[in-house]
Amino acid sequence: MSDIATLSDEEVIAVVRTKDKEAYAEIIKRYQTKLLRYASHIMGDEHMGADVVQESFIKAYVNLNGFDTKKKFSSWIYRIVHNEAMNILGKHKKQQPMDDTIEFDSGINIEDDFIKNELIRHAHHCLELMPILYREPLSLFYLEEKSYEEISDILRIPMGTVGTRVNRAKGMMKKLCQKNAA
Amino acid sequence: MSKKRSVASVDFEKTIMAKVKSNEISMKPRWYFVLGSLFMVAGIVGISIGAVFLTNITLFLFRQHGPMGGWRLQSMIQSFPLWVPLLAVISIIFGIALLRKYDFSYKKNFLLIIIGFIVSIILTAFFLDFMGLNEMWARQGPMRRFYQSIDGKNITLPNGQGQGWMRKR
Repeated sequence: MSDIATLSDEEVIAVVRTKDKEAYAEIIKRYQTKLLRYASHIMGDEHMGADVVQESFIKAYVNLNGFDTKKKFSSWIYRIVHNEAMNILGKHKKQQPMDDTIEFDSGINIEDDFIKNELIRHAHHCLELMPILYREPLSLFYLEEKSYEEISDILRIPMGTVGTRVNRAKGMMKKLCQKNAA
Repeated sequence: MSKKRSVASVDFEKTIMAKVKSNEISMKPRWYFVLGSLFMVAGIVGISIGAVFLTNITLFLFRQHGPMGGWRLQSMIQSFPLWVPLLAVISIIFGIALLRKYDFSYKKNFLLIIIGFIVSIILTAFFLDFMGLNEMWARQGPMRRFYQSIDGKNITLPNGQGQGWMRKR
């Protein structure tokens, strides 16, 4: 199991498919925090986000043989989370407002840094005010640190559209933050 | 006291791995996806052929029924088998929906892909019509009965059976 940790995502998937299905735990370990953060941003609710992630991990496992190991696994699993979130949002129709008291575990201790904390809270709040069309690419680009190509694969939109949406979202974010700060 | 609360630490690993180990969830076999891909390809090919065929017949019928105008338009509307172009349009829509499933559909300009798909179907249909395939099929072979059923209706014109509008064949 210790060797598994050194393998790439795609190699781990190959192991899960052919040798050891329990190696899937490594995939869950690698992605649970990132996916929970992403899903919570889309859903605007951490518990709904957790449901989305759990369901996505199950769907990913069930459809693991359909994954092309020549492609990037992270884009594939983010796509599953995106689809699952959109399905649930479609069912609920109106989006739940984000609880701005949520703090995502980034692994960095920022408890003592009041200003930084406030800025992050403010930024999260501004992000939540944005339509999902722009919120999602912006969140993927800045919070998940995905490239335009990966965002294009996750959202299934052309790279040019990703760039346009991220740029518009930046402008929107600036306006929303200034408006809220005033 | 901070009003912030941390994200509930859901133990995904424990929950999901329990389901995996107990076989509550299992992977779909590889052949399932291979079959899915094959059906997709077959679907696109089949729908494209169907769309070409129906567009080709539509062109043939337009030609046979003559140009629009006066009572000819009325008779054409009454006698024209509208299901043929309608089915052609539905086939094209299904074809486009299937094309959307492929990766290239979002990597390239999809509007251009749609236009290309429609244009290639119409051009192929024109080419087949131009090559005289319709006339050949209408006269002989297993398709003859089909052509008769869509085109062999006796149209009663306002002043009885006319001749001028009739097809050349």
